[in-house]
Amino acid sequence: MISIQDKVAACLVRAGSTFREDQKEAYRRAIADEGNEHACWVMRQVLDNALVAEERRSPLCDDTGIPHLFLEVGKNRIVTGELLEQIKEGVAMGLRQLPGRPMAIKGDDDARIDQSGGLNEDSGALAPSPILIKAVDEEVIRLTILMLGGGPAIRGITQRVFHKHSVDVVVDEIVSRAIPAVSQLGCSPCTLAVGIGRSQFEATSLMMEAMVYGDFNKQTAFEKRITEKVNESNTGPLGLGGKHSVLATFAKVGPQRASGVRIVALRPCCCFEPRRASVEL
Amino acid sequence: MIKQLTTPFSEETIANLNVGDVVNISGYIYTGRDAVLPKIIRLAEENRLDDYGINLQGAVIFHTAVSPAGVGPTSSNKVEIESSFEPLSRYGVKMHLGKGAISKETVKVLAEQNAVFAIIPPVTALLGSHTVEQTIIAFPELGMEAFNQLRVVNYQAIIAAAKGVSIYD
Repeated sequence: MISIQDKVAACLVRAGSTFREDQKEAYRRAIADEGNEHACWVMRQVLDNALVAEERRSPLCDDTGIPHLFLEVGKNRIVTGELLEQIKEGVAMGLRQLPGRPMAIKGDDDARIDQSGGLNEDSGALAPSPILIKAVDEEVIRLTILMLGGGPAIRGITQRVFHKHSVDVVVDEIVSRAIPAVSQLGCSPCTLAVGIGRSQFEATSLMMEAMVYGDFNKQTAFEKRITEKVNESNTGPLGLGGKHSVLATFAKVGPQRASGVRIVALRPCCCFEPRRASVEL
Repeated sequence: MIKQLTTPFSEETIANLNVGDVVNISGYIYTGRDAVLPKIIRLAEENRLDDYGINLQGAVIFHTAVSPAGVGPTSSNKVEIESSFEPLSRYGVKMHLGKGAISKETVKVLAEQNAVFAIIPPVTALLGSHTVEQTIIAFPELGMEAFNQLRVVNYQAIIAAAKGVSIYD
């Protein structure tokens, strides 16, 4: 029987090294549809890279990312402290197997802020983010691992929007934030992850959920509108021009507050993201 | 058509490159980013590059860390990196390899030194399959940000700044 640790480790390696089929399809569609030769060249390189990474089970990008964990739990399933510990051990094993970039910062609070304590050379020393848990209507315990890189974290924005009782206002604000973020990111084409909630925590959690469930083949009208408007900027892959700055938008709209404000979390996921994989434990 | 280039680059090779050219780079190249490039410039100013066996004549500097995860370009417009273009070109570097838009001033400086800026997509797995050797040359204490030399075969890149023209113009 495969241990929990081994399942989690294999899941992390898959997340860091493999494009899903819908992701490959999105690239093939974009290449076929793109008229700018520089943009096509970039997207072909990204797709070829994914095929090589999958075959070699090696990292898609040298910024292998910080593991972010999303746990779905069915009504009659039990999550114990021991299971959480096994997941943590599996993450460390997976980071060593990938291998992840050794980028855990050593030292106390100050040393971790100014990086004066140096880096831990062990890839497995990189701590994952806190686990996000969601109750689901299935009899499962399913772990999804997202490997989130630094570039999108720099350009991500979580901020309020005064909606003025109009979806258009919210869409326009998301687009106006996304265009410079995509342009500055560089590692495009992007996928925009969006969460809309009642607080910064909730909006960010919803954005995580959007990355967990997002499918390049299934886009809502709301998501399509954002993608199309951002692509009008013609930033293009790596900023070299073209109509595919963004391949898709993954959005999750949660419960909302009775007020004039919505909190919007936005992450311009890089050309490899969302790097994710799931496993039933 | 993809242009085949082998390091070290001659003045003539660089003079024949134009913005938008896709090139395959083979041979030995150096790597460095924010932490180490100012130190390399200092070595050049102090005439101490030979102490480390570094020869910048016709060289390529790839803006990347080198870690067990592989290599991949970091943004070349970070202050310490972009400000290295002028002095390193003066000491012989012919190609700065990274990603992101650089300033008009830097584009002009490159043209004055007959040097170019090329963009390489962040395709770590692909680059890994085209990297034959890697050796730490200087400042090993910087870990993944040390000054490394790679032997590469057909690293594919696009010329983004040459002869005073930028692909972002």
